Amino acid sequence: MNATPKRAIPRLLQMVLVILGAYFGFILLFDVLLGQLIPKSLLTMYMVFVVAGVVMVFTFTEEGAQELAGPIKALVEDPSRKMIRNVVFVIVPLLAGYYTYTSMLPSFEAPVELRTIHPAPPNKFKAYGKSYNLTTLENPYRKFEKEDPAKFKALVKEGGDVYIKNCQYCHGDKLDGKGPYASGLNPTPLNFQDVGTIAQLQESFLFWRIATGGPGLPAEAAPWISSMPVWQDFLTEDEIWKVILFLYNYTGRQPRSWSHE
Amino acid sequence: MAYTNKLALLALCSALFAAGPAMAKPGTADKGKEIYDKRCTWCHGDEGDGKGAAKDHLNPPPRDFTSGNYKIRSSDFEDLTPNDDDIFRMIRDGMPGTAMPGWSDILSEQDIWDLVAYVKKFASYEKPPAKQVDFGTQISSSAESIEKGKKLFEEGDRCVECHGKTGKGSASKRLKGEAGERTWPRNLTKPWTYRGSADPKDIFARISTGIAGTEMPSFADPKSKKKLSIEERWHVANYVASLAQTGKKVSADNTVVKADKVEGELPAATDDARWEKSAATTFYMVPQIIGKERYFLPSNDTMTVRAMYNDKAVAMLLEWDDRTRSTPGDDSAGKLADAPIEEDGAAVQLPVVIPSEMQKPYFGMGDAAHPVNIWHWKSGSKDAPETINMLNSKGFKEIEKRDAASAGLTAKSSYTDGTWRVLMVRPLTTGAADKDMQFVEGKFIPVAFAAWDGSNNSEKGSRHTMTTWYWLLLKPATGARPLVTALVVAALFAGGLLWWAGSAGSKAACWSLKETAPARRSTCAGA
Repeated sequence: MNATPKRAIPRLLQMVLVILGAYFGFILLFDVLLGQLIPKSLLTMYMVFVVAGVVMVFTFTEEGAQELAGPIKALVEDPSRKMIRNVVFVIVPLLAGYYTYTSMLPSFEAPVELRTIHPAPPNKFKAYGKSYNLTTLENPYRKFEKEDPAKFKALVKEGGDVYIKNCQYCHGDKLDGKGPYASGLNPTPLNFQDVGTIAQLQESFLFWRIATGGPGLPAEAAPWISSMPVWQDFLTEDEIWKVILFLYNYTGRQPRSWSHE
Repeated sequence: MAYTNKLALLALCSALFAAGPAMAKPGTADKGKEIYDKRCTWCHGDEGDGKGAAKDHLNPPPRDFTSGNYKIRSSDFEDLTPNDDDIFRMIRDGMPGTAMPGWSDILSEQDIWDLVAYVKKFASYEKPPAKQVDFGTQISSSAESIEKGKKLFEEGDRCVECHGKTGKGSASKRLKGEAGERTWPRNLTKPWTYRGSADPKDIFARISTGIAGTEMPSFADPKSKKKLSIEERWHVANYVASLAQTGKKVSADNTVVKADKVEGELPAATDDARWEKSAATTFYMVPQIIGKERYFLPSNDTMTVRAMYNDKAVAMLLEWDDRTRSTPGDDSAGKLADAPIEEDGAAVQLPVVIPSEMQKPYFGMGDAAHPVNIWHWKSGSKDAPETINMLNSKGFKEIEKRDAASAGLTAKSSYTDGTWRVLMVRPLTTGAADKDMQFVEGKFIPVAFAAWDGSNNSEKGSRHTMTTWYWLLLKPATGARPLVTALVVAALFAGGLLWWAGSAGSKAACWSLKETAPARRSTCAGA
């Protein structure tokens, strides 16, 4: 009957500690080590499994289950713990009520809108009244980089002038997406210095994005909120190709091309 | 105290003479030129004359280094030569409210010192300035100092002449820059537009040196009728810094205009006391640079919006700073701005139908499949009162003008001390569900705003400032439900616990037996 061994940590406390350990373990792993905030819903799901598992392990044998329930029973039944019991009986309903209240209050946070930043390009698109095939489209000026460096330099400079006159207000002097009007836009302008932007793309993709602008995006990229103008209304084809040269030259990046892959 | 300070300064100055600028590392102009030609020439021009490709599209225009005027400097008012450190700082940190970014993320410190050496050559600045701004002993900000500063700010129209009584730069005087261009006094209630930071020490320096190339004079100049002592300048600096604490700053997380439900009547005036308690949301405004004709030289950069609703209508209060009340045909307005003066204006844009999914109308006046409804208020001219117009559009070109009265839309405005407030009220529902948004509480409704300053480059039509889509939410009255449910849950818990304790009551007897008669415990087995 009285086989329950004395333990340094009571079994109930042990269980609570294991569950708390798992909880903070998740937070440590995701939020701190991986630097990715763990979504609340995911954490809740994980914790349901953890709690179920831990309770199962702790109540696997009958003695284990009794030992676990012991302190709780004692709290209710042992007259010498009347004081603690009264305190617990006040706190638990209050906590339950508070949790219910806060979870029922409506939230007024803005809805989250997910959009694809680099949507899959179409094979063909229309601009300047004609059709372009994105799989074969190339920057007609790229070849001068090797063939005629002096000419190439002049073309880059012309592209820079186009950029400063037209693009820097949003994409910035430093091409970092932080131009003077960037903070007033949502989504914010693309940062071309970032390795995840133009360095991952082909020049034909840039041409498509510039020529057809925000309204030319597919639905998954939320064309209705993009502030990118439809540049075929403002710039010539040549100017777009030159500005593309400038973007790569200034950031020191290279466009991707079929031949290297 | 002041004497020892002067001594210290004297010692510092002589040290500067002996060793060059103490903090500055010597830069090499030739290396600076290489960097300049890659990074700076686009705006400031190959010759440093500010004639880069974008010069006509920037306000303020890019600095003309050949003029020798440096707006932000810490040298004495009589000596236009900037300290190397002044130029260094502007390159490193950039100038807020202009197109000049801070370069510290892509240029090394040495790169920047090289640039300093090169840039100075455009105005042939060779020697460091002979005298520095005398900062004396900084007087830290206090209610008393701010009060003194306010008095000095207003006394004899010292600062008020240009910056206005509330510091918003509400113009009573026409100003021009070094190239003859129209310039506007700083709106001191917008600290994020202070070119050389809103730190009192920087403000002190601007008051002391004046701002070269502008009409901002030096108040340290003993010949000036409006001159101020060092101590007085600290008070004014503290006052100006206090003006900057307006809470008008944009908070990037706050993208929802939350309308509270009110019992009874909605506010009928722009100065109704209830607006003070209503949550304000401030948005950045950017010039319209998406469609033809692209517009680049705005005067306004924010709009603050509040909203309320009752069971009949919704009221929105738009508030923004505008240095001028633009009244076409009015002579006093004509003195301040270049002709033609247009009306000031503001607009609210809503989708015709609240989107059920993510897709909204195109934010630039809607699209063919998703029309928008626009409420456009104009301030009126000398001979005509203010107006509220309504349009429905499917993009920039397909615009249908409608009668605002048919939807019950009204507007009322006030202009005080450099701030417009416009109150727009519309019934929650109208007779034309195919053309007007039918407001529903609890739903996130896309909303966008626009504004026109008719005294700034004759803003009109497509030349205006605007926001992208944000949200309007008619906050449902929470009611008693959460509280009642919470009480019920708490009561259930309490009841459950008490029942448990009660049913355990008999067992409690066993616990007492444990103490008194362990021998009889067996009767309690299974407890």
